[in-house]
Amino acid sequence: MSATTTNATATTRAATTSAPSNRWERNVPVYGFPVVNGFSLGLLALILVAFALSGYRELAGLGPVSGMNDAYGWGIWKTFNLMVLTALGSGAFAVGIAAWVFRRKRLHALMRMALLTSFLAYACGLLLLGIDAGRPWNFYWIVFPWRWNMHSPLAEVAICMSIYAMIPLAVENIPPVLERLWYFDSRLRPGVERIEKGLHYFFPWIIAAAYLLPGMHQSSLGALMLLAGERVHPLWQTPWLPVLYLGAATFMSFGCVAGTTMLCCLMWKRAMDMEVLDEAARITSWLIFGWMGLRLLDILFRGAIGTAFHFDRFAGVFWLEMILISVGALLLRRSVRDHAPQPMFVGYILSSLGGMIYRFSPTTLAFRPNPQALYFPATIEVLVSLGFISLGILGFLVAVKRFAILPAPLSEWHDMASYFRFRRPYIRWTGYFKYGHFGEDETPEASGSD
Amino acid sequence: MTAPVGLSLTTKATAAQVARIVGKARRPSVIWLHFQDCTGCTETLLRTSAPDVGHLILDVISLDYHETLMAASGAQAEAALRSAIEENAGKFVLVVEGAIPARDDGIYMEMGGRPAIQVVKEVAAQAAGVIAIGSCASWGGIPSADPNPTGAVGVDSVISGKPIINLPGCPPNPYNLLAVVLEYVTMGRLPELDQYSRPKFAYERVIHENCPRRAHFDAGRFAAAFGDEGHRKGWCLYKLGCKGPVTHAACSTRQFNEIPGVWPIGIGAPCAGCTEKGVLWQMGTFETVPIHLATPPDTYPPIFSTEGQFKVGAAALVGAIAGAVGGASWVASQRFQSSMEAGTTRIAADRAHAEKAKASSEKPTGREKEEN
Amino acid sequence: MSITRRQLFTGIAKAGIPAAVAVTVGTDILHAGEPIPVPSAAVGLLYDASVCIGCKACVAACAEANDTPPDTRRDALHQAPEDLNDLTRNVIKLYKPEDGSAFSFVKRQCMHCLDPACAAGCPFQALHKNPESGIVEWDASKCIGCRYCTITCPYHIPRFQWVGFNPRVTKCELCKDRLAKSLKPGCTSVCPTGAVIFGPRSVLLLEAKQRIAKNPGRYYQNRVYGEFDNGGTQSLYLSKVPFEKLGLPELGPESVPARTLRWQRRFYQYFALPAVLYAGLVQVIRTSLKGHEQEAHEREKETGLRAQL
Repeated sequence: MSATTTNATATTRAATTSAPSNRWERNVPVYGFPVVNGFSLGLLALILVAFALSGYRELAGLGPVSGMNDAYGWGIWKTFNLMVLTALGSGAFAVGIAAWVFRRKRLHALMRMALLTSFLAYACGLLLLGIDAGRPWNFYWIVFPWRWNMHSPLAEVAICMSIYAMIPLAVENIPPVLERLWYFDSRLRPGVERIEKGLHYFFPWIIAAAYLLPGMHQSSLGALMLLAGERVHPLWQTPWLPVLYLGAATFMSFGCVAGTTMLCCLMWKRAMDMEVLDEAARITSWLIFGWMGLRLLDILFRGAIGTAFHFDRFAGVFWLEMILISVGALLLRRSVRDHAPQPMFVGYILSSLGGMIYRFSPTTLAFRPNPQALYFPATIEVLVSLGFISLGILGFLVAVKRFAILPAPLSEWHDMASYFRFRRPYIRWTGYFKYGHFGEDETPEASGSD
Repeated sequence: MTAPVGLSLTTKATAAQVARIVGKARRPSVIWLHFQDCTGCTETLLRTSAPDVGHLILDVISLDYHETLMAASGAQAEAALRSAIEENAGKFVLVVEGAIPARDDGIYMEMGGRPAIQVVKEVAAQAAGVIAIGSCASWGGIPSADPNPTGAVGVDSVISGKPIINLPGCPPNPYNLLAVVLEYVTMGRLPELDQYSRPKFAYERVIHENCPRRAHFDAGRFAAAFGDEGHRKGWCLYKLGCKGPVTHAACSTRQFNEIPGVWPIGIGAPCAGCTEKGVLWQMGTFETVPIHLATPPDTYPPIFSTEGQFKVGAAALVGAIAGAVGGASWVASQRFQSSMEAGTTRIAADRAHAEKAKASSEKPTGREKEEN
Repeated sequence: MSITRRQLFTGIAKAGIPAAVAVTVGTDILHAGEPIPVPSAAVGLLYDASVCIGCKACVAACAEANDTPPDTRRDALHQAPEDLNDLTRNVIKLYKPEDGSAFSFVKRQCMHCLDPACAAGCPFQALHKNPESGIVEWDASKCIGCRYCTITCPYHIPRFQWVGFNPRVTKCELCKDRLAKSLKPGCTSVCPTGAVIFGPRSVLLLEAKQRIAKNPGRYYQNRVYGEFDNGGTQSLYLSKVPFEKLGLPELGPESVPARTLRWQRRFYQYFALPAVLYAGLVQVIRTSLKGHEQEAHEREKETGLRAQL
């Protein structure tokens, strides 16, 4: 199998005289797949349902729409959409640090995917945070720093996340938009170039902020449950919780970025650059091993290891997490060795799933405020959560088809980017892609598009 | 007539049976001695109607000696006492009203020249049983209040070896006495007694348990001062020093003078605890008493309350979503294998085709043909 | 390599921006490990569980004093809340062991901790401790309804209103309106047995210790809960049964925020560490960016396409 692959790549490399291989050297938009299709309409329906239910929540209060109660004040909105999904959406942070600070050049190919997924995850998470807050009209106090409670991890999370999403993350996501504008209309080019120059000047500051701020708030998300003290089960509650949350965010986000890229390549039949993906998988597996080591050492030193062998749901969740994450890491290592995408994909899924459960546990599964209390989300709560996730997915699908986000070999650029010029791509998908070469001066009508 | 008997004999006999028994029994002899008393217990006995005093002493019992009610006095009275004792030796009931001074050989009260303590011992020795009516006879009562100069004590501190029934109260409800008497007369036995020899049918519960103002106590509505709004509305008198919670008596259900509401709490005076030895004349009038609780019911909120519930519909939805996502992931992972290979070869094929097309579209000179 | 004076100054100026931000925002008392001050006019409650008879007069009086409608949701006729909730600031609970050993009532209301975890977690200081009376108060104009206080409070006191579009957070505030009118809090003014009394914290502590001294062996561990527990609270408890059985956890002498947020506070003190990290990151990225841009230029020349960042 691997032999065939390397042979195939060798053949492709040899067969072409221009840019060889499926090495990801450029980001391209996904053309030929209409934005409006059954799946996106389904997502839109979910989104509208979620919006309607959110409106209902604003009027009726949080009780009728959720399973939250006095003992479990936080439901899945805060704990899942915010804590877990923004961890998945830390790609800009994790992949970015690997690419920019640790100079892993190959990962630059994944940067735009990382930035887009992060932006959408944060945007949807913060929107849901606004809906989850019981008295959102008082959010304006965020503008007055002297009212911030610097002791509060939640204040740190809210402020840091908002600033991060609005400034560094948004700014980092502007280049694809500018690029499309540049190709769209030549009259816009001077303005676009001016903006780009300005951006480039401030980039070090913005990118540094884009790494500092997530580091701060992803760890503060962990610090949130520190204040709950003994009510969080000892297998999770530790002074190292902020660090562990941050670590989980890193490997989860690698999984999300690389996994999403792989999935996109699968769905839209793109070539996968196994060198980049191997690099990402390698880094992810080391991150996972480091994280697991830290967690286990911490549990051992605190003497909480005994509780892992009780026959209760806490031990069950703990072992589920650890098994998922470790199996995921092992699969990733295998995929690196074999250059195989399947174990890589499964490895990402399992380790991200384990990471998600880890980040979800201290607030719900491992949180025991009251031995008689329990929490289970209500249907409306689940639908709203699902709707906002769909919003992110739909945003992703639209962005990926309209802007050059997905990494691809250089040769595909020529076939795709000229479509930036047009408001709607005229090519409909009739196969892998309509071979043809469109220079910048040719119109698509002459090429026999249908 | 069956009313007081019913108090202790409710399930035992029908009214007709009791009447037949009472009517047929030979009237038992009762000797009633007064010592350090105020005669209040006798007075309270006069205010009954079922049976009234007349019917009682003429038809029910043979009251052979009673200093307040008998016609005789002086030497005649003394003689009546002696003959009553001789005639009914071992069979009469001795009712004692008032405390007995015990200090200094009992010189602080004398009857016919003899100390009361001697009298009561002599008479009780011949009696079948002793009923100590009133708090004074039960445990000393008002004469025993500090500093108790006469050393006043109740009957059971002086007499031993005879069955003694204490009926404390200041005054006690007369039906307590009547019920005891009628039970003895009809059934030939005495009622069940508590550890202080008080009949349980009247002294088992504290006032607080059956108090008509209990709801106000439970709701926290207290009269804080005499005549204030709460007092006028009939609120609980606990804060004014009501001794109801520590006083064993039946006044809260039976009241006095056969008129509802005629009892201290009913008229807005806090209970003084007149039946209890350590309370009446020992505690301050407005001193609040501790409240001893029986084990409370489970209707109180528990330390940890239940919250939240498991919803099947939501669980099904979550399960469906998880299943869908899991299924899609599995399908995707399966496709990676084949897709990878297919994609690679197709890229090569398409690229080759694209090159060919490009080459063929740019063939202004024939030289390209050769390169193809 | 040598840096020009201009580079040095611009570098310092650029590093100074985060420092300035740090100083303005970060100096708001981020100290770690200092002793907890007792407010100057600290008032509180002393509740003696061994005297309480469970009459629940305090529950009714509390609702009346705070103008709250009675909570009849559990039982349509009676005000019988099962726990603290959005209408109940004060509740009497019963600890009744299965084996029939000593039972005890417990009055649960806000403990008004000296270092409250709820106020430590509240993002915009809606829950804050009054600096004079020490009462932990809720400010509706600042609260965003995040419900973090319901999670951080180790005694599980603040309760959120789950119904309605204008939810509030409810908890005992020691009837501060009545205090302003020189009245006592609602609960203490109706307690028939004097199980709960109101007064300055120092006086209440003295009273509690006197009771312990006069009745040795009557109270659990001969100590008053709240003197040092959780760093000290202004609602003090005496009990015959273990405090944990009454729902008062043994938290140790350090307050929850001090114990759990120690490293958080040290890390963010004066924002120094983040600022330093930021400066470092800027430098690293600048260098990275330069290298990356060089490569991008080369590739632009090679392929003829605009560089993508």
